Amino acid sequence: MLDLLNAWLIAPFDYGFMRRAVVGGLALSLAAPPLGVFLVLRGMSLIGDAMAHAILPGVALGFLVAGFSLPMMSLGGVLFGLAVALLAGAVSKMGGQREDAAMASFFIISLAAGVMLISLGGSSVDLTHVLFGSILAINSTALLLIAAISSAIVVTLAVIFRALVVECLDPLFLRGQSRRSGWVHSVFLGLLVLNLTAGFQTLGTLMAVGLMMLPATSARFWSKRLEGLIGIAVMLAMLSSTGGLLLSFHLDLPSGPSIILLAGAGYFFSALFGRYHSLAARWRRKVTPLVRD
Amino acid sequence: MAQAPKLRLHNLHLAQARRSVLENVSGEFSRGAVTALIGANGAGKSTLVQAMMGELRPLAGKVECSAPKARRAWLPQQLALDLSFPMSVEELVMTGSWPSHGALKGYCAAHYRRGREIMARLGISTVAHRPLGELSGGQRQRALIGRTLMQEAELLLLDEPFANVDSETVDILIPIIRQMADDGATIIVVLHDMDHLHRLADAVLLLRDGGGHWLAPNEVAAPSYLPTGGRHAGPA
Repeated sequence: MLDLLNAWLIAPFDYGFMRRAVVGGLALSLAAPPLGVFLVLRGMSLIGDAMAHAILPGVALGFLVAGFSLPMMSLGGVLFGLAVALLAGAVSKMGGQREDAAMASFFIISLAAGVMLISLGGSSVDLTHVLFGSILAINSTALLLIAAISSAIVVTLAVIFRALVVECLDPLFLRGQSRRSGWVHSVFLGLLVLNLTAGFQTLGTLMAVGLMMLPATSARFWSKRLEGLIGIAVMLAMLSSTGGLLLSFHLDLPSGPSIILLAGAGYFFSALFGRYHSLAARWRRKVTPLVRD
Repeated sequence: MAQAPKLRLHNLHLAQARRSVLENVSGEFSRGAVTALIGANGAGKSTLVQAMMGELRPLAGKVECSAPKARRAWLPQQLALDLSFPMSVEELVMTGSWPSHGALKGYCAAHYRRGREIMARLGISTVAHRPLGELSGGQRQRALIGRTLMQEAELLLLDEPFANVDSETVDILIPIIRQMADDGATIIVVLHDMDHLHRLADAVLLLRDGGGHWLAPNEVAAPSYLPTGGRHAGPA
């Protein structure tokens, strides 16, 4: 029994690439879910997706300029992602169009531009790699980058936490308090872009958003408190990134989809059996009569 | 009330979506007075409130406000808030201390003490740790007023504070709002109910036909002054 557990859970980490992948995954799992929780609370769940597409042309440009160099690709991704976020914000402010509409337009343009750039410069193998990620490619530089970005996100989030909470609940109140309140939203979008660029190495640009959103949407079924939501989401993300890596190792599956599908399984489990709003909770409510009031 | 007014309107011309809503609205809102803002639906009440809070730029004229930005509070209609947000009543009330305290520092014991006093005054101490989504409309409204009390607002704009609110809450809130005015705050309330108006207001600004008309509260009971089509605004 112990041997089996050892073979399944411990032995894979004898390999250096698995160790790096799991550390990278855990670092991402610490930084991404809190951002996802805030996105869900603001009713912006799909913005993460849009931003993930938006970083693609930047990644592609980095790839064209410097070849397969993670720092260059990340830098390109961050710059391009921020530019798209700013542009979308500016377009919606000037034209009065809602931000999600502007974002939707920009992200689809970015996706096409990114795929075009990668196809011009490389083979289809490169394209698959950028879109879907690969744990094999995580070297020490990449790991350092991921860890540094994740740490920066967690620290920044801690600093702007309270302002962010109030901006979610009542943006008017925050705007009333300070002229600089617009910064909170911009910093938040910036963190989003940073996180997605950190994630694309393991998960690919398209799937990096999964580790952000799925734990956050699942957590809604387990807690009604913000701290609870964030804690549970981080826990779920850690479980799915580690579990997904092990699954992909043993069953010879691609790592990104394994991680995200495991997180997806967690989502379905939560939707069925969670404490609040789940199917089971609804069923429980039916059979338990209210005692008070 | 001898001090200079906190808020002055100079020949305001306001438009929404390229359509003129209000023209030549002028007037002063005195310190320590509660002004009721009334008018039929679509008369421009919310537009004027937006302009007063600096959210809408006037086409012509200007809004002159001497209260510092952090001391202006605007309580929008309840529907504007996301009620599923996981925040407790106490946390909401405490955010009102930001202007004096900043958003980054933690709260100290004195802040919590004041928060608890305010919640006791509003009769919401028992629900202090409940999430906002579990409260009744009245309790939620009291919590929001609690935030403005915590904020020590000098200028307070309340957009239909008594809509969808139980009478117990109204009976608690009216004296508290009066007290805030007596303490020197300038208060502007969008109202529909004439009974509330008579209990609360010192002055009335009626918006009708694209203009503003200043009235005394006792003039409003006369049917000829009622907002056109204002079926909800009959005398109590």
